[in-house]
Amino acid sequence: MRADDERYFARLEERLDEAFEVAGTAKAQGKDPKPEIEIPVARDMADRVENILGIDGVAERVRELEGEMSREEAALELVTDFVEGTVGDYDSRAGKIEGAVRTAVALLTEGVVAAPIEGIDRVELLENDDGTEFINVYYAGPIRSAGGTAQALSVLVADYARALLGIDEYHARTEEVERYAEEIALYDRETGLQYTPKDEEAKFIAENIPIMLDGEATGDEEVSGFRDLERVDTNSARGGMCLVAAEGIALKAPKIQRYTRDLEEVDWPWLQDLIDGTIGKDGGDGEEEGGGDDAGEGDGGDDGTTDGNADEASGDDAADPAGPPRPKPSRKFLRDLIAGRPVFTHPSEAGGFRLRYGRARNHGFATAGVHPATMHLVDDFLATGTQIKTERPGKAAGVVPVDSIEGPTVKLANGEVRRIDDPEEALAVRNGVEEILDLGEYLVNYGEFVENNHPLAPASYVYEWWVQEFAAAGADVQALADDPNVDLERPEPGAALEWAEAYDCPLHPAYTYLWHDVSVADVEALAEAVAGGEVVEGVLAIEHTERVARALETLLVEHAATPDALRIPTWRPLARSLGVDDGLRKEWTPEDLPREAREWDGGDDAVKAVNAVAPFAVRERAPVRIGNRMGRPEKSESRDLSPAVHTLFPINEAGGPQRDVAEAARTMDDRGRRGHLELEVADRACPDCGTHTYRSACPDCGTHTEPHYECGDCGTVCEPDEAGRVECPRCEWEVTAATRQEVDLNDAYRSALESVGERESAFEILKGVQGLTSTNKTPEPIEKGILRAKNGVTSFKDGTVRYDMTDLPVTSVRPEELDVTADHFRELGYETDIDGDPLRHDDQLVELKVQDVVLSDGAAEHMLRTADFVDDLLEQFYDLPRFYEVNERDDLVGELVFGMAPHTSAATVGRVIGFTSAAVGYAHPYFHAAKRRNCFHPATTIAYLEEGERREISIEAFVESRLGDPETDDFGTLVQELDGDVRVPSIDERGNGTTRSVTAVSKHPSQDHFVRIRTRSGRTIRVTPDHTMLRVADGEIRRTPARELAVGDRVPAAHSGEREQSTDASAASADGGVDVDEIVEAELVESGVEYTYNITVSDTHRLSANELWVEQCDGDEDCVMLLMDGLLNFSKTFLPNQRGGKMDAPLVMSSRIDPSEIDDEAHNMDIVRRYPLEFYEATREMADPEVVEDRIKLGEDTLGTDDEYRGFDHTHDTTDIAMGPDLSAYKTLGDMMEKMNAQLELARKLRAVDETDVAERVIEYHFLPDIIGNLRAFSRQETRCLDCGEKYRRMPLSGDCRECGGRVNLTVHEGSVSKYVDTAIEVAERFDCRPYTKQRLYVLEDALESIFEDDTNKQSGIADFM
Amino acid sequence: MPLESNARIVSELASRGYNAEREAVTLLAGAEDVAAALEAAVEAAPDDALRITTDHVRAALDGHGTAPSADAPSGSGAPSGSPPTPSDRSSASPDQPPVQTAEPGRSPVETRGSGAGGAEADDPAADAAVGGSAHGHAAAAHDRDPSWRELEVGNDMTGHSTGTGEYADFVRTFRDRYERLSGLLRGRVNHRPAEAIADMPGGSDAAMIGLVNDVRSTKSGHWLIELEDTTGTFPALVMKDKGLADVVDEILMDECLAIEGTLADDAGILFADSLHFPDVPRTRVTGGADRHVQAALISDVHVGSEEFVADAWSRFTDWLHTPEAAPVEYLLIAGDMVEGVGVYPDQDEELDVVDIYEQYELFAEYLKEVPGDTEIVMIPGNHDAVRLAEPQPGFSEEIREIMDVHDARIVSNPATVSVEGVEVLMYHGVSLDEVIAELPEEKASYDEPHKAMFQLLKKRHVAPQFGGHTRVAPEERDYLVIEDVPDVFHTGHVHKLGWGKYHDVLAVNSGCWQAQTDFQKSVNIDPDAGYAPILDLDTLEMTVRKFT
Repeated sequence: MRADDERYFARLEERLDEAFEVAGTAKAQGKDPKPEIEIPVARDMADRVENILGIDGVAERVRELEGEMSREEAALELVTDFVEGTVGDYDSRAGKIEGAVRTAVALLTEGVVAAPIEGIDRVELLENDDGTEFINVYYAGPIRSAGGTAQALSVLVADYARALLGIDEYHARTEEVERYAEEIALYDRETGLQYTPKDEEAKFIAENIPIMLDGEATGDEEVSGFRDLERVDTNSARGGMCLVAAEGIALKAPKIQRYTRDLEEVDWPWLQDLIDGTIGKDGGDGEEEGGGDDAGEGDGGDDGTTDGNADEASGDDAADPAGPPRPKPSRKFLRDLIAGRPVFTHPSEAGGFRLRYGRARNHGFATAGVHPATMHLVDDFLATGTQIKTERPGKAAGVVPVDSIEGPTVKLANGEVRRIDDPEEALAVRNGVEEILDLGEYLVNYGEFVENNHPLAPASYVYEWWVQEFAAAGADVQALADDPNVDLERPEPGAALEWAEAYDCPLHPAYTYLWHDVSVADVEALAEAVAGGEVVEGVLAIEHTERVARALETLLVEHAATPDALRIPTWRPLARSLGVDDGLRKEWTPEDLPREAREWDGGDDAVKAVNAVAPFAVRERAPVRIGNRMGRPEKSESRDLSPAVHTLFPINEAGGPQRDVAEAARTMDDRGRRGHLELEVADRACPDCGTHTYRSACPDCGTHTEPHYECGDCGTVCEPDEAGRVECPRCEWEVTAATRQEVDLNDAYRSALESVGERESAFEILKGVQGLTSTNKTPEPIEKGILRAKNGVTSFKDGTVRYDMTDLPVTSVRPEELDVTADHFRELGYETDIDGDPLRHDDQLVELKVQDVVLSDGAAEHMLRTADFVDDLLEQFYDLPRFYEVNERDDLVGELVFGMAPHTSAATVGRVIGFTSAAVGYAHPYFHAAKRRNCFHPATTIAYLEEGERREISIEAFVESRLGDPETDDFGTLVQELDGDVRVPSIDERGNGTTRSVTAVSKHPSQDHFVRIRTRSGRTIRVTPDHTMLRVADGEIRRTPARELAVGDRVPAAHSGEREQSTDASAASADGGVDVDEIVEAELVESGVEYTYNITVSDTHRLSANELWVEQCDGDEDCVMLLMDGLLNFSKTFLPNQRGGKMDAPLVMSSRIDPSEIDDEAHNMDIVRRYPLEFYEATREMADPEVVEDRIKLGEDTLGTDDEYRGFDHTHDTTDIAMGPDLSAYKTLGDMMEKMNAQLELARKLRAVDETDVAERVIEYHFLPDIIGNLRAFSRQETRCLDCGEKYRRMPLSGDCRECGGRVNLTVHEGSVSKYVDTAIEVAERFDCRPYTKQRLYVLEDALESIFEDDTNKQSGIADFM
Repeated sequence: MPLESNARIVSELASRGYNAEREAVTLLAGAEDVAAALEAAVEAAPDDALRITTDHVRAALDGHGTAPSADAPSGSGAPSGSPPTPSDRSSASPDQPPVQTAEPGRSPVETRGSGAGGAEADDPAADAAVGGSAHGHAAAAHDRDPSWRELEVGNDMTGHSTGTGEYADFVRTFRDRYERLSGLLRGRVNHRPAEAIADMPGGSDAAMIGLVNDVRSTKSGHWLIELEDTTGTFPALVMKDKGLADVVDEILMDECLAIEGTLADDAGILFADSLHFPDVPRTRVTGGADRHVQAALISDVHVGSEEFVADAWSRFTDWLHTPEAAPVEYLLIAGDMVEGVGVYPDQDEELDVVDIYEQYELFAEYLKEVPGDTEIVMIPGNHDAVRLAEPQPGFSEEIREIMDVHDARIVSNPATVSVEGVEVLMYHGVSLDEVIAELPEEKASYDEPHKAMFQLLKKRHVAPQFGGHTRVAPEERDYLVIEDVPDVFHTGHVHKLGWGKYHDVLAVNSGCWQAQTDFQKSVNIDPDAGYAPILDLDTLEMTVRKFT
């Protein structure tokens, strides 16, 4: 590591240490559940392993071994240490083995997942039938997140330890062997395995394995034979065991064998039989299918004939020189186009985004550089961070503003054609734009092609290519660059022409027009027109004809138009390209053109023709256009809860739906006492005076209290064992400290106010929680909540305050654009700019350090409030000096935050260096991490469509049946991408029904708890607490985490009878509305399952689950927390008490990023200043990206070197990383109709967009499914009592509610069925959709009329009265 | 009981120029199907015979492999008296008209001719063109006398869709269903309203008629059936050892049932002893034309689909012009004239004709191939351009105008058509999918669609189950109730050919004119395309002709 980096990390750690010291002092006061800071710092993987395991000495040993051997070998090596007792403090043999096994798993999973702690429950010694001892490893479900290799290795490690300790092998009884086979098959049926061993194989493993694999029951299904075995405590399938046996041992046998060979003590000769497949294994090995998965549109075969044809066409092109090389257009990204999210470019359509290669400084994985002027011109639909679905190379990308690429070209109402390179100008002319002829360039970095393994697409001819050709042609580029009179990038026409001729170099791209878009005939006509024009005051005026005007527009030649003439100011390069000299003499006739030029691409591509007549070479200016459309809008918002949680203090139901602590404190009980609640909270005892209390500090003497574990049955007071488990020695069950006790909340509340010296008026409301979900139910001091409420921040489940932001990468920044100064930067240790010059000015570009982050304005605001809260907390609660003392946001610069990648258990320390107005979180790409998914309980019934019919199925069955060849991410999640053929009913943000395709299914290790929600009409659903649910408030559908839903909240209801939601007649309005249901119960329940499931729904991310509309998860969002807040307030004690509850919590913190230990996708980012000439040439060949991999440095090339933290060069600069609109129009426009009209209006303006197709798709994917679905829903609907909410599958014959006699009404009314018909027909007519589409609408309109109108009482037309 | 009077037989024979032996007439009168037997006897008689003898008659009847029934001529009484479950259908076999060319329920491709003198076209080898005129009616194809014709349509709601999609409309529809179907059951049990039963003392006998609100099996393997009438609901428990399992299997939601049994001690539940469906009575007067005239029953033409079998259609219409087809004066089409638009996703890619109006125009062209003086009745199906919710009214004016050839009658789905005294219930058959899905394989399957139709007859409702597959448009009455027992029940939709008799009602599912589609291939349905069941209206015998 370079000294510079060392200094940087030292600085971070110095501030970290400072914070630790303060926080440590505060914590030591004993007012918190634990008297010490609960987030251990990990400098590297070794530290993380040690911290996650909590075994001292592991880190040191791991570091020693790391340099010498592989991780697997290190894991085995560590076994010796554990056995000898040099590492870990275990007395028992079982403990030693357990430590070794856990360490091995932690090591192989890099210490970021919970598998080592949660996946291995325990190791125990049991007795064989012959009286010898054997080892039993007890696995739990989360072992899945370890992956097959680590699972298998854990067995090997256990065996190695066994051998070293001289314990005998496990001899399975016959019935146990049979049980394994049955159980694995059962588990596979029930849950699914990546690889299913045949019965023979499973038995073979069971017979031979020297360690007994055991585990806890997962799932309800029981085996039918081999039940009630003595050594197996359950009759259900033991998921962890099945995984280890099947996906570990059976699947990874070859890998394991490699290690057994090296170990003398361990001999697993039977592995060979497994590998050879002599155990009745069939050919269908699960792994083999992995290879054939083409990235990108390689799997686009399902796109129908369009693709097929295009495929052939491009195939022909490649073989036959009669056309230029082009990648085949892919229409896939257009699927599921929905109303309100515009298309910017139809697939590979001229006039759309032009592919330019390069990486801007705010560019990285899955991002696309767009000119800010374009963002404005597309009516602000694009903003920094807006996600777009793209044609290639990936599927989706986040938009970043880059103004060093070419901007859009527009035709103004006055006939002028102008390129716009300035966002201000774009805003100024926006209203006068008649047509957007070209959207400008679209920057994609080479690494993106590598990451997606997408063949290179022919590059645009751009300055960085030309200049290399120019140099290769013999020009002294350096001299010209140094010449103040020459602008190499934007030369004068004269200079450009002179260079082209003098050096025999292709014409400069600035004057290379898009000849490939016009036909040979156009060129002939244009040449004639130019030759027939005249030059007036240096401006060429030619006759205005339709053909010539269109040709100039297509070529993107800037000009002005009058009814008679077209005036071209910069005409000489155009004329020369056309074979017309400066005297306007045309020196050729069409017959002079060689046949090849005339017939190139059927005469539709004039590049060859121009090259034939021009005195110099003319390259293809922009051969590849990238189709795209809008995906999700950008996001930056605090994790605000509703009802918010200010304090993790339980108040049962007493606080009302708002969970108002003050209200609860005022509530009078039967005996007239205020605020006396019977709460389930921890029983803690004071070590000094023996007082029992729920508080963390003794109310009598102030000493820190410890949980008091008293067996609820026999009263034995128990102590936690070395692994932290508390088991009653007599009753042999787990004991917790939680008890029901009467708490004087009123007193607690008042004294808390007093102790921090605040009055009730300091805050509006203080919200508590209904109940605690942690094992021992230790409440948080109310004081903390009071101060949170005072400062307007709320708490997450673990006591921290968080803010979510869409990730965007940035590698170099200017202090200026971050609203800070060079002074700030120098204080932070930045000394030089990217060129090595001393940092003096605010506008100098400096390379971002790897853990420095940029906060969005909203995040900064939130962090300021958090800082105030923390300071108040220190001062008023802990009696310590304030730590942050922030007055304005500049004071936040240099402060540390935690970045949490979702679903991980490790936080990363980041340092604030500035702010941006874009609604995103910019940080170094290495800082950003994986995706988050929240999930459903396996038994959740989801609705989907099959052959147009709504079907319902459990999400478990749905996902499992589709996990054909899943990828496993670092967090144990299995993800399978789908091709979008499966569709589900969904609703948009206005509650309008629609159908969307499922793009992926995934399976996740379960969290400990679910939130169970029950509604008035009896719907229930269990989701993970952070799962985003939908709530209806003020006529809008809002997103809210499940755990924040409260009794009384209204949630949108879906109907099982139908795929679409219905509308309550009263709520029916032009823009829809949904039927709602009210929550009558919302509580945390223990999960009891091993996995949760999720499906990814395109665009809306919403689906119907258990007849409720819910959000699926959303991905790609990091959150940030303020460092001190985390240190002071985070406690594991608050975390829900079951498996997976430790996810998304900062169990460990990395103080420095090791680039080798991060997700691979960031490594595939190119970090060079210029792509070589060979690269551009390779793109013409449409070569695979690997071909030039040696010539372009990627992040991965610097891993492990001194340069791994620096040298992230970029090819393109941008003036400001937050240009363009701050928010997408999608977020600022009103209802769906408004958005759709804007979308269609934009489609009209864009040359690259076929507005009819957009209208067709909106009708096809949005309106028609809605109308058809609602119509179907109508004719098979349920009814519901308006008074008591009772629902009826069919209308009661009595007409009234059978329960309460109340009024029963429909759940789907005419309003919701017919709301879109008129609009859809209007759109179909206006945009001249296909008769097929129109007829479908008219047929539907007739059907509606037939159902909803009385034939005998038809409304009379006006004609009847005339 | 439609005792053909001997006098009528004699006069009929006389009209054909025969005298008859007294015994021969008695024999004929005792035949199951007098008209058919008579016809056969006439044929069996040598050309030069002037007098029909017992030998002729015997030869005719034996020749059909069916002995004259010793029982009542109507043949309605299954002598065994066994319950009318479809599994008992085999006993219906002897009830079949003697001139049936194939046993009911057998797939036509498997059938072999019975060797009778009747039209014998379902042998795959026997092309319609060479079918010959076996009837001896060598009259010219167009020598028809329309004045004989009688065609009346009942239960047609076209132009009378008065529902406006209100809650009350739904309630009215279901009430009407209950009123009319419970009426059929009231004579059989002593119905007490749900409310009243709830007040009865435990242990008393009780019976209730209601729409099925819920059916589920209990943990212990019994069944709980909740019936609803206009006063409320009441649960009935069917014990697994009651021998009613077979019956419970057939129950669909929202059909009308009667349950008799004993109230539990706490009067909270009724222990069922017996279950009754409205059902079709066993003894019934069947209609019949007074002359030899036939109707072709087809459906699912699917013009506009790439899979429309135009060749087969043309062979069919060509045949209609042959002398053999002279009696075919009626053509009944049970829905899906065209393939439609937007019926399933991306349908346009499989359409030959993408424009819905052009589809109907093309259909009209194909219809023109049918002899001009054929009387045509059409109902819409789920592919047609009308609402999908049932009852479906006949086509809109615009489409009627397109299909104005032959002055066809376009009526609603379902509708009853009375053709020269034969009541034909036409229903497209969307509910068959559901019946097949819900009922056990042996009671209803795609290979034997008529068995599913038997169920509908038994329930006296063409689409009982609400909330599932079938869509309902509420109207002032429930047009889907089978109030009057038809002589023939004609459906389509499932594209499988199948027919059989249920309590003397001929149930026909008429195959289709569309070859296997990709979708059908994917779900392994092999459609019966290009068959035309031909119904003798005077005898209610059916012949299936194959045109592929």
